[in-house]
Parts: sequence; structure tokens; C-alpha cells
Amino acid sequence: MSELHISLAAEKIGEIGGFPVTNSLLATWIVMGILVLLSLKATRRMTLIPGSAQSIAELVVGSLYDFFSSVLGPKIKQFFPLIASFFIFIICSNWFGLLPGVGTIGFPEHGKFVPLLRGGTADLNTTLALAIISIVAIQYFGFKTLGFHYSSRFLNFSNPIYFFLGFLEIISEVSKVISFAFRLFGNIFAGEVLLSVMAFLMPFIIPLPFLALELFVGFIQALVFSMLTAVFIQVAISHGEGEHAKA
Amino acid sequence: MEQLGIEPKLLLAQIVNFLIIAFVLTKLLYKPILAMLEKRKKEIAQGLELTEKMRLAEEKYKEKEEKLLSEARREARTIVEAAEKEAGEVKKSLTLEAQREAAVIVEKGRKEAEELRVRMQKDVGRAAAQLAAGMAKRLLSQVVSADMQHKLIAKHLKQLESMKE
Repeated sequence: MSELHISLAAEKIGEIGGFPVTNSLLATWIVMGILVLLSLKATRRMTLIPGSAQSIAELVVGSLYDFFSSVLGPKIKQFFPLIASFFIFIICSNWFGLLPGVGTIGFPEHGKFVPLLRGGTADLNTTLALAIISIVAIQYFGFKTLGFHYSSRFLNFSNPIYFFLGFLEIISEVSKVISFAFRLFGNIFAGEVLLSVMAFLMPFIIPLPFLALELFVGFIQALVFSMLTAVFIQVAISHGEGEHAKA
Repeated sequence: MEQLGIEPKLLLAQIVNFLIIAFVLTKLLYKPILAMLEKRKKEIAQGLELTEKMRLAEEKYKEKEEKLLSEARREARTIVEAAEKEAGEVKKSLTLEAQREAAVIVEKGRKEAEELRVRMQKDVGRAAAQLAAGMAKRLLSQVVSADMQHKLIAKHLKQLESMKE
């Protein structure tokens, strides 16, 4: 490779029945497969005295549960599957992108190098999908918990100030989608670019600290995404609590 | 959008992907693991509760044992005391009885001895009278007539008789 190739978009590597398959989509499928296999291994034969796989699964799920219940309190049960899935899926995708061979094994196409795999979260489609799910879920849980009253967060005609605030809330929800998507994508994509640049300049030893750093960034970004979702859910389901207290 | 690589089809695919993995993880991972954690928590709590119960039972048992033991000891002491007291009484009464019996025996002996003495005296008196009568009869038969003899003998016998009394 004589020339460093960086593409902001995921590259298309094939097509299934007219459906474009990109390298990041393939990586996502592989991550999904790994997660399903690991969960099966961890929970297929559960015992009161856990084996190693079950112990690790219990450690991960248990600490996530405790951590997020510090944000959401006793309501955690309802939201846990979504938030924990965000964390686990994002961290696995992030770290999958750091594996050797991901982004470096590929094939030439039209004179350009196309990697076979690309970290799932280094593709805006994935992060935008996660962001949309997160925001939709926040609204869903808001309506589910508060009923029709939740709509007063966005459309409130009782007071010109509240009306204007509702307008701002709508904008803020839309901006949340964008910030969620670009924060995750930006961090992970930048990390991968950084690593490939480092590897391009100095193939040995030097990229190692950066690799460790990217492992940390991958963990932090997964935590930030799931944590923010938890906080936004908490804000949504407690909307108007102060007004109720006054009334 | 084109330059960022956003494509509606891929976006939809990733949304579906995430929903699938969230669903699968909920079914395969969170539910069983959380249930297991809960179960273990319960089990541990039960175990601790059982231990506490056992400890209490043991304490109670020990207390009971102690109580029984002390009661038994006390009872034994009273029994021994009662037995000692009874033995003392029996000893006293036995001694008394023996003394009484001894007194009775002594009394009886004395009485018998007295009787014997009286009877011997009587016998001796009678034998002496007979001897005297025999001697008189032999002596007088040579001197006095038979008629006289009889009168004399009767007189002397009467004298003897009165003397004896």
C-alpha cells in the first residue's frame, strides 16, 4: 500500500438481491453473531454456582444493571434491555473495528483499495440508526409513562413561554439525534483514521499506545451513548413533575 | 448525505439489526442472567436466615440443656438430702426400738429369774418339810404310839405350814 486511503463512507463490498452490503454492515452482522453465540454459551446451562462464561456474563450484566439503576432508580427494569443493548452492541462494534485485519484486509476495486471489514460504528448509518432508536425510545417511554401529558413537553398552549419552550424542546430532540450519531461516529472513525495513519507512518510499536487509547475511547463512547440515553429517558419520564408538585 | 455515506436502505438495515440484537440479548442474556442473580440473592438470603435460625435454635437448646442440667442437679441434691434425713430417722427409730426391746428382754429375764427364785424357795420349803416329817415319823415311831404320832405329825406339819407362809 503506497497511498493512505481514507473514506468517510463505508464501502460497498457486494449486493444481495439489489440490497447493498457494505463492509460495516458485514462487520455488524459478525458482531451480532458473536454476541448471540456468547450469550448462548453463557446462559445455555445456567447453574447456581456459575461457570466461567456465566460468571463473566453475570459480571457484565450485573454491573450494567447496578450502574444504570443509579441513574434510573427502580424503574430500571423496563429500560434495561434497551440501554444495556446499546452499551454492549456499541462497545463490541467499537472494539471489533480495532481487531487486526479489520480495515486492512481488502481487495482493490476500480484502482482503489476496499477493506473487507470496517468497524460497525465507524459508519454513520449505524450510529444514526442507534441515535434514531434512542430518541424514538425516549419519546415512546415518555408517552408510555406519562400518557397524553407528555405531549405538553413539546406543544404547550397554556403560556407563551411554555409554547416557545416546547418549540425549543422539539429542536433539541432533533439535535440530540445528530449529536448522538456524530459523537459516536466521529470518535470511532477518528480513532480508526488515527490508527491507520500511525500504522502507515510507523508500523511497529508506535501505534500500540494509540491502540490502547482507542480501546478506552471505545469503552467511553459506549458508556456515553447508553448513559445519555438513560439520562434522557429519566428526563422524559419525569417531565412536569415539578408542576404536579405545585398543583 | 451522499458524501457521508448515509443511505436509507443501510440505515433501515442497521435499525433492524439493532432491534434484533436487542431482542435476542434480552431473551438470551439479560432475562436469564438477572433471574439467576435474583435467585442467587434469594438463596443467599435464605441461607443466612437459616443459619441465623439454627444459631438461635442452638442457643435455645443450650439454654434448655443448662436448665435441665441444673434442675437435675438440684433434684439430685434434694433426693440425697431426703435420703440422708430418712436414713437418720430410721437409724434413730431403730436404735430406740432396739433399746426398748432390750429393756423388754431384760425385764422378762428379771421376772423369770424372780419366778425361778420363788419357785425354788417353795420347792426347798416343801422338801425341808417332807424331810422333817420323815425324820419325825422315824423318830417318833419308836417313842410315841401310832395315834399320838399322827397327832404330833399333824401339829408339826401345821406349824411348818404356817412357818412357810
